[in-house]
Amino acid sequence: MNFDLTEEQQLLEDSVARFVADNYALEKRIKLAGSSRGFSAEHWQTFAELGWLAVPFDEDDGGIGGGPVETMVVMEQFGRGLVLEPYLATVVLGGGVLRRTLEGERRAELLGKLIEGKLQLGFAHSEEQARWDLEDVVSSARQDGDGWVLNGAKTVVYNGGNADLLIVSARSSGGQMDTDGISLFLIDPKTKGVEVQAYPTVDGLRAAEVKLTDVKVVAAALLGAAGKAWPIIEAVADEAVLALCAEALGGLEVLYKDTVQYTQERQQFGHPMTDFQTVSHRLVEMFMEYEQCKSLLYRATMEYAQNGHEAARTLSACKHLIGTAGKFIGETAVQLHGGMGVTEELRLGHFFKRQLVIESQFGNADFHLEKFAA
Amino acid sequence: MDIELSADDLKFRDDVRAFFKAHEYKPGQDYAQWRLDWFKAAREKGGWDVPKWPKEFGGPGWSPTQHYIWEQETARANLPWDLPFGVGMVAPIIMNYGNAEQQERFLPDIRARTVNWCQGYSEPGAGSDLASLKTKAELTADGKHYIVNGSKIWTTMAHIADWIFCLTRTDASGKKQEGITFLLFPMKQDGIEVKPIITLGGSHSVNTVHFTDVLVPVENRIGEEGKGWTYAKGLLAHERTGLAGVSRSLVALEKLKHQAGTVKRGNGSLLDDPSFRAKLAKLEVDLQALEFTELRSLARAASGQQPGPESSILKLKGTEIQQRIAHLTMEAAGPHMAPWGGIHVGPKFASGGTQSYLGSRAFTIYGGASEVQKDIIAKNVLGIRTQGGSN
Repeated sequence: MNFDLTEEQQLLEDSVARFVADNYALEKRIKLAGSSRGFSAEHWQTFAELGWLAVPFDEDDGGIGGGPVETMVVMEQFGRGLVLEPYLATVVLGGGVLRRTLEGERRAELLGKLIEGKLQLGFAHSEEQARWDLEDVVSSARQDGDGWVLNGAKTVVYNGGNADLLIVSARSSGGQMDTDGISLFLIDPKTKGVEVQAYPTVDGLRAAEVKLTDVKVVAAALLGAAGKAWPIIEAVADEAVLALCAEALGGLEVLYKDTVQYTQERQQFGHPMTDFQTVSHRLVEMFMEYEQCKSLLYRATMEYAQNGHEAARTLSACKHLIGTAGKFIGETAVQLHGGMGVTEELRLGHFFKRQLVIESQFGNADFHLEKFAA
Repeated sequence: MDIELSADDLKFRDDVRAFFKAHEYKPGQDYAQWRLDWFKAAREKGGWDVPKWPKEFGGPGWSPTQHYIWEQETARANLPWDLPFGVGMVAPIIMNYGNAEQQERFLPDIRARTVNWCQGYSEPGAGSDLASLKTKAELTADGKHYIVNGSKIWTTMAHIADWIFCLTRTDASGKKQEGITFLLFPMKQDGIEVKPIITLGGSHSVNTVHFTDVLVPVENRIGEEGKGWTYAKGLLAHERTGLAGVSRSLVALEKLKHQAGTVKRGNGSLLDDPSFRAKLAKLEVDLQALEFTELRSLARAASGQQPGPESSILKLKGTEIQQRIAHLTMEAAGPHMAPWGGIHVGPKFASGGTQSYLGSRAFTIYGGASEVQKDIIAKNVLGIRTQGGSN
């Protein structure tokens, strides 16, 4: 039994932590979030140079052959800085699909570009009626000669407006809720009939609505076998859940620790706030929840590394706990900061908003509790 | 025990409804003019523009039940905007502690809603512990003016306010509750700087206000020097035992149910989702109880008794429920809680829901944080003598 990071993992964590410390002070983040694409192209090149974009890819593909633990290490540190660069969209989701589907020259070309930091991706899967049901797909793919014609609408596609290529899911057969019959396509957002409406999200990230109207794509746009995309969607969603939980954990650490510090410094009624038991006990509860989340994240990550999708139940447990703890720790951090907690002036408000959005991605606490209980 | 409204109360309710209907805002109307006309018409009804003012100052002299009916009906009607600082906050202090000249000078404009007020209470170092405030007011040698220096924070609408009512320190030698003086002065003058504070939802309503050698004539002081805390505290207590906003929460819950009904889930809607339903139901249960807690409190007041222990929980429970409704509304939007910046994606209520939730976090902070309210209840209601508590 050993929960320590390996030497390589520790180096990775240290380097991401250093980057966050150097580049993600609140003012810098606010400025970056308001810039035209909402993140820094320069940072993205740094990620490439430091090998972070190569983390989940095989050495044969030019990657470093990392697994879920390495991704967790990176995402947790990103979470501590509220990093804006679209690592989840491009590396975890987009890269996750491409490394499972591409072959030959195209594989070498696109994964090469991704690892070099020259390719931005968006995973255009969710649809409005689906909420978080991954199998609920009504966008359609109709075979047309050698190619395909796509129709439908995808919603809240993170990084959708910045993506050089979009991975779009569409139903080529079966009914609305069938896992069978979903296909994935790699399309250029400039293709005729693709309409991308980009917008900011409440946590400072970027997303987009993607409309597909009689979009004609060539046969090679199909990723993997027609109608057989479900296991791939399931796998990248599992990895996204783990990545989001790791990011959330990093944020929860900041939220509770900032609150511990603030309440010790803030004097009211002639005492530091922590002299009042109602405050100190709640700090302890925040800390306890944080530690429990960390344990379940380790459990889920390690089980997933060993057993893949068979670990889904533990992943749901983890997303549930992170969701409920995120609400409790976030709301308590705001409350104990008093008026300062509800402003944009302290970083905790920004961390709080990121927790709220993570709760809205790939299923909230209730959704995952139901999956766990099923 | 009897929970039926009397025939007179029912008639009053119909009267209120008819008034709201007759004076509804019609699209295309000049809003600012409609607003002033509305208050004028309400005044002509016999003080309906100032429901809580005592009869001798032009209030309607309603019974507690009538106040309750008014609150229920206003929750559903579209009334003109009205800041609480004038009619609700500074006016009662001027009525109770101001002199006749001050009453004559300030109350008419407050009542007509032509002058906006803001409240200068909290300071960077004095939040829940309000009495530790430091903004200094020094009497000039000729005794004609105070010179005010210091800073206030969380000053709602300071950027549009014409006047401020302000707690200042005129004496720092004794207990912190002593030596506080209540001053009124105009906001648009040299030496006053207002800086916006942007809150979580990205909006601007609160500010910091800095005073540098602001001259305030002594005739703008309310009551005696050094007694300001007593004047302000009476109002704070009144605020804290105010109603729990049950009517508004009931309306909000109804709206949430309707909104959740528009979110598709499989063949049905979000209302068919068991965990969502359970949360809605739990909210409804708590609101049913709170409605009767409010009525119990009201019945006591109606029969002229002192507020009972139940009235102390109204603000705490009421704000908690408002926050839960806001949270559930955000949750109902699912992935669409995130899109921001005036963009409308997914269910119609989505972006507004997130905004309301973020705003609602302040409900348990301002006007006395919930932790402080609990200390007060522990002491005043349960009779617990706390060690080094906040009271």
